[in-house]
Amino acid sequence: MYSRLSFGICAAVLTFSLSAPPAWAHHGWGGNSEEEFELSGIVETGVSLAGPHATMKIKAADGKVWDLTLAPPAATSRAGLKEGIIPVGATVSIHGHRNLDPSRLEVKTERVTWNGRTFNVYPDRK
Amino acid sequence: MVWLQGSALGHAMRESGVWTYGVVNLVHILGVAALFGALLVLDLRLLGVWRNISLAAISEPTVPIATIGFLIAAASGVCLLATKATEYVGNPFLYIKFPAIALGLLNVAALNSLAAWRQRKLRDLSAHEQSKLAVIGGISLVSWLTAITAGRMIAYW
Repeated sequence: MYSRLSFGICAAVLTFSLSAPPAWAHHGWGGNSEEEFELSGIVETGVSLAGPHATMKIKAADGKVWDLTLAPPAATSRAGLKEGIIPVGATVSIHGHRNLDPSRLEVKTERVTWNGRTFNVYPDRK
Repeated sequence: MVWLQGSALGHAMRESGVWTYGVVNLVHILGVAALFGALLVLDLRLLGVWRNISLAAISEPTVPIATIGFLIAAASGVCLLATKATEYVGNPFLYIKFPAIALGLLNVAALNSLAAWRQRKLRDLSAHEQSKLAVIGGISLVSWLTAITAGRMIAYW
């Protein structure tokens, strides 16, 4: 009896913990606006192929620094966007999707264009 | 966090190839799987499931697997954190995860201090002792489930 009750409690705790609320931002594109977003700026911090996603920072014309989240490191590298290719201070334009939170200057970036070259880090996305 | 990111470990994580993070992440998941898989079995037994299997017998495989799993998860976890430690400052799930881990470890210390646990291989336990162990098992499940849930959610913040 006691054993069955405790098993029930455990099952309930497990079920609750594993069923993440659907409204939560999801890794991937769920935390980003559906709207296409374009931005130009000067490279502030060059491409870093570290961590779960490659990153870089650019400074827009208004002086605000944006965090660019690229594809995972291996995919970003396959797209030709390796560390050190685009020098700091170069002007780039990017295409992607802004963070849903307007106070966060972050763009999940699909393409980076520099010096006539386009690095399409998410080739399957338009 | 700044120190951790600037440490030799942080540099190694960032500068040793595009697959490093993914592989260390895999090791972390394997560690968590070993830890949680083993403690799920042990905690359910402490809560009173599978009474026909003695606590002494069930603790034989589960305690070392959970311990090794924890050590693997902790070591790989520090590496993951060191990659971009400063990025996680302000991530609320981090402030849930680490206290939950601390609670889980304190709970292990409490278990080890119980005479009932230390003498599980020597004698039968009284009903009162078994209910004390059940409380420990419940706290353990809640704290580790919280730690794992918050840990997973760090990436989605």
